[in-house]
Amino acid sequence: MVDLLIGIFLATLITALFTARLYRLLMWYSLNSLSLGLLALTIGRAQHDGAMIISGLITLLLKAGAIPWILKRLSQRFGLVRQITPNIRIQYAIMLVPAILVFTFYLAEPISHMVEGNANYVAISISSLFLALLLMMEHNNIAPKIVGFLSMENALFLLGTTATGGMPMLVELGIFFDLLMAIVVINLLMRREEMENSGEAGA
Amino acid sequence: MMVALLLLPALVMFAASFLHTPRARRLLPISSVAILIPVGILFLHAKPWSIWGDYLVADDLNSYVLLVSSVVGIGVTLALLTLDRHVAITEVSTRRFYRFFALFWIGLILSILANHMGIYWIGLEMATLSTVYMIKTNRSAAAHKEAWNYMIVGAIAISLVLFGIILIYASAKPILGEEAMLFDALLAKAHAIPSPFLFEMGFALATVGMFVKMGFFPMNLWLANIERASFYPVAALFSGILESAVIVGFFRFSTVARAVNEAHLVGFVVAYTLLTIFIVAFLIYRAKDFMRLFSLSGIEHMALIALFWVGGGTFAALLHFGAHAFLKPALFLSTGVLESSGRYHIAGALKGYRGVRGKLFYFLVSLFLLAIVSLPPSPMFFSELYGFGAMVDAAESSHHLLAMIGATLLLLILLSVIFYRFVAIYQSMKYEGEAAERPVYAAEVAALAIFAVGLLALITPAAMHFLRSIA
Amino acid sequence: MSLYLLTVAVLLLIAPLLLGVIKALKMWLLFKRPLSLLQGYRDVAKLLHKENVVSEEASLITRVAPFLILSPLLIVLFFLPPAVQGAWYVSFVDAFTLTGLMALSTFFLMLLGLDSASSFGGIGASREAFIAALAEPAMVLTIFAVSMMAGDLGVGQAGVNLASRFPEKHMASYLFAAISFFILLIAENGRIPVDNPETHLELTMVHEAMILDIGGVWLAIVETAAAVKFVIFASLFASLFLPFGYGLAWPLALALFVGKLFGVALAVALVEVNTAKLRLFKVPNLLGIAIVFAFLSLITFYVLGA
Repeated sequence: MVDLLIGIFLATLITALFTARLYRLLMWYSLNSLSLGLLALTIGRAQHDGAMIISGLITLLLKAGAIPWILKRLSQRFGLVRQITPNIRIQYAIMLVPAILVFTFYLAEPISHMVEGNANYVAISISSLFLALLLMMEHNNIAPKIVGFLSMENALFLLGTTATGGMPMLVELGIFFDLLMAIVVINLLMRREEMENSGEAGA
Repeated sequence: MMVALLLLPALVMFAASFLHTPRARRLLPISSVAILIPVGILFLHAKPWSIWGDYLVADDLNSYVLLVSSVVGIGVTLALLTLDRHVAITEVSTRRFYRFFALFWIGLILSILANHMGIYWIGLEMATLSTVYMIKTNRSAAAHKEAWNYMIVGAIAISLVLFGIILIYASAKPILGEEAMLFDALLAKAHAIPSPFLFEMGFALATVGMFVKMGFFPMNLWLANIERASFYPVAALFSGILESAVIVGFFRFSTVARAVNEAHLVGFVVAYTLLTIFIVAFLIYRAKDFMRLFSLSGIEHMALIALFWVGGGTFAALLHFGAHAFLKPALFLSTGVLESSGRYHIAGALKGYRGVRGKLFYFLVSLFLLAIVSLPPSPMFFSELYGFGAMVDAAESSHHLLAMIGATLLLLILLSVIFYRFVAIYQSMKYEGEAAERPVYAAEVAALAIFAVGLLALITPAAMHFLRSIA
Repeated sequence: MSLYLLTVAVLLLIAPLLLGVIKALKMWLLFKRPLSLLQGYRDVAKLLHKENVVSEEASLITRVAPFLILSPLLIVLFFLPPAVQGAWYVSFVDAFTLTGLMALSTFFLMLLGLDSASSFGGIGASREAFIAALAEPAMVLTIFAVSMMAGDLGVGQAGVNLASRFPEKHMASYLFAAISFFILLIAENGRIPVDNPETHLELTMVHEAMILDIGGVWLAIVETAAAVKFVIFASLFASLFLPFGYGLAWPLALALFVGKLFGVALAVALVEVNTAKLRLFKVPNLLGIAIVFAFLSLITFYVLGA
C-alpha cells in the first residue's frame, strides 16, 4: 500500500513536469498531496503515531484541498497566464528526468543504508525534491513556480515522514503555519500587482 | 514570561501598524529601544538559560548576537522615520512595511535564540516571507520582479536548509530520539552519531542553503539586485539582522559538524568561501553604484566570518560579525541619503553637506567607508588580524600547510583588490563631481551615531574580553 | 491444449466486438443513440462481399501487405500469457519478440500506405513512423520491466508468475509500468489523444490515411488486424497489470478475463470522451511521458528494488 502511494506521488510529480496547462498542474499537485496525506495516514496507523495521523489529516485538508483551490481562485481573480509551456523542450526533458532520477537514486544509496526501515522512500523523496526544483526552473511564469515550491515542500514532508519516522509535532505545525503564511504573502503580492495595474490604467 | 517580554516590542509595533495616524510611527523607535530591556536581562542572567523549555535557550553567543541585532533594529527604526522624505512611498505602504518588519523581528528573535533546529527553521522562514513584502513596498517594476525572485530563490534556499535539518535529525534520531532536534543534545552526543555520512550530507545541504541565503556562490548578484531594487532600510535589515540569524545557525551547525569530522568541515567551508570571495572581489571591482557595492562587500564579509569561524578564529569571527553588523546597515542607511530622491552617481557623492548635521553625516560616512576596508582603528582590522593569525596557526597544525598558506595568500590578494576599489571610490566621492545641496535629517544622523558608538564599544577591552569568553 | 486454442479463438472472436463496444460507449456518453454492438461483424461481412479495387500505381505490395499486416498479429495472439490456469502457453517469447512482431505489422501497414502513391497514404505512413519510433522503445522497456518484476523474461511465464505471486514489494515500479503501458495502448491503437479513428480529416488522421485506397476483402483484413491489435494490448494489460482471478475454475476465469478486456475498453472510451486529440507535434509529449515512466519503472526496480 505504501509502495503504491509513493509510486503515485512520484508519478504525479513527473506528470506535472510535462504539463502545459495551469489547472491541470494544480490538479496534479492536489493528487500529489493527496497521496502524501494518505501515505502519512497509512504509516501513522501502522506505527500508532498520533502526531503523524494529525499531520496527514492536515495535509489532506490543506495541501490537497485548500491550497490548490485558493491558487485556482487567485489565478482566476488576477487573470494569470494559464498556458504554461515549459522552457525545457520535451525531447530534452525526456532525457533529463531519467538522468536526474538515476543520479539521485545512486546519490541516495549510501543514505538509504543508514536509515532504518523504509530505505527506498528516502531515495524517492530526494529525487522528487530535485524534480520539484526542475519544475521551478523550467517555467517562467509565477504560478507554476509557486506550485514547484509547494511540491518541494511536499517532497520534504515525504522525507521527514519516511526518513525519520515523523518529525516532532511542533516542527510539523510550524511548517504548516509557514506554508499558510507563504500563501498569504503570495496573495498580497498578486493583489498589489493588480492594484498597480489598475492604478496605471486609471492614470 | 521572558518570551513574552522579548516578543512584546515587536507585537506593539505590529499593533501600531494598524493605527491610522502618522503619529503612531513615533512608537517605533520607542518599542525597538524597549527590546534592550529583555536583552539586558538576558545578559545579567546566568547562562545557559532555558527561556522556553529546550526550545529557546540563551547562551553567551546568541545573547551577543541578539544585542547586536537589537541595536541595528533601533538604528533602522530611527532611519525609517524619514524614509518618506528620501523616496516616494505612500502612508499605507509605510504602515505595511512596519507590519511586516514586526513579523520579521518575531521570526528572527525565535531563530536567534533557538536551540531547536525546527524552531530555528520556522523563524527563518517567517523572516524570509515577511521580507518579500518589505521588498515589494517599493512600487517599481524592478522591485516587483525582485520580490518574486527573492520569494522563489529564498524558498529554495530555505528548503535546502530544511532538507539538511531532516537529514541531520534522521542521522541522530536512533540515539537521541526527539532530542535530536536540539543543538546542545546533538553537540553532546556528536561522537556517537551512528551515521556520520548522513549527518555530513545534511550539514552540507543546510550550509549550502544558508550560504545561498546570504548570497554566496552561485547567487552572488541575486542579493545585490534585490537590495538595489528595494528601499534602503530593507538592505540594512538584511545585512544587519537577517544575516545575523543565518550566521548564528551556521555557527551552531558547524560546531556540531566540527565534533563529527573537523577536516571535512574545514575543507568544505574554506573551498566554498574562497570561491565566493574570488568571484565577489571581481564583481566589486566592476560595481558602479553604492547598493551593489555594499551588498557585494557584505557577501565578502559574511564569507570571511564563516571562514574565520571554521578556521579556528572564533573570537575573530565574532568580532568581525559585530563590526560588520554595525557597519553595513550604517552604510546602507547613509546610501539612502547619498542617493536621496533617486540620484545615484558615485562621483561627488560626499560633497555638498552643510551645517552641523551635514558635517557630522559627512564625517560618519567617511569613517564607515574607511572602516569597512579594515583601516586600523576599525574593529575589522583587529578581527582580520586575529582571523588570519588563527588560520596560519591552523595551517601549521594541519597536514596541508602549503594549501592553507596558499589559500590565505590568495585571500589576501583578493582583499587587496577590494581595498583598492573602495579607496578609489572614496576618493571619487570626495574629490570628483559637482557639489549639490542634499538634505540630512536628525533621525538619520542619530542612527549613524548609534552605529558609530556600537563600533567603538566593540574595541573596548571589556567587549573584547567578553567575546574571548564566548570563544 | 484445448483451453489454449479456446482462449485464442475467444480473443479473435471478440476483437471486433471490443472496438464496437468502445464506439457504442462513446456515443452513449455523448448522448447519441449508440450503434449496435454487432456493427463490427456486419462491416466485415459487408466488406467480404465487395470487389477489390486497386489503384493504377499500386504494385504487388498492395496485394500482399494486408496479409502481412494481419499475420504477425495473429502469431502474437498465440504468444500471449494464458487467461486461465492449466492452459498451455508459450513461455520463452520475450519483450523484443512481441514488439518486433508488432513492428513488422506496422511496417507493412506503412508500406501499404506508401504503395498507393496517394499523398494521403504518404502523410499517414510518415505520421505512423513518427509515432511508432517513439512508442516502440517505451514498449520494450515497459514489458521488460514487468517481466523483470515477475522474475522471468518470457512474457507468457511472467504473466503466470504475476498471477501466482503479486509483486507487492515492487508496487511503485509496477505502477509506473502500468501507466506507461496504458499510454502505449492508446498510442499504438490510434485512439483519441494520438489519432482519431473516426474521422477522415486530412489534418488529423493517421491510421485511416494509410488504408484510404484499399477496399473489399483487403480492407476487411486490415480492419480485423486493427481489432486484433487492440485485443492483444488489452489482454496484455489484463494479464500483466490486472493479474487476479487466474486460479478460478476455467469458465469463470475466462469470463473474468473477458470482463477485464471490456474494462480496458471502458477505460479507453472514458479517456477518448474526456480528452481532445493532440496536435501531431504534441504527441511526443505524451509518448515522452510513457518513455520516462517505462525507464523510471526499470531503474526504480533495479536501483531501489521498490
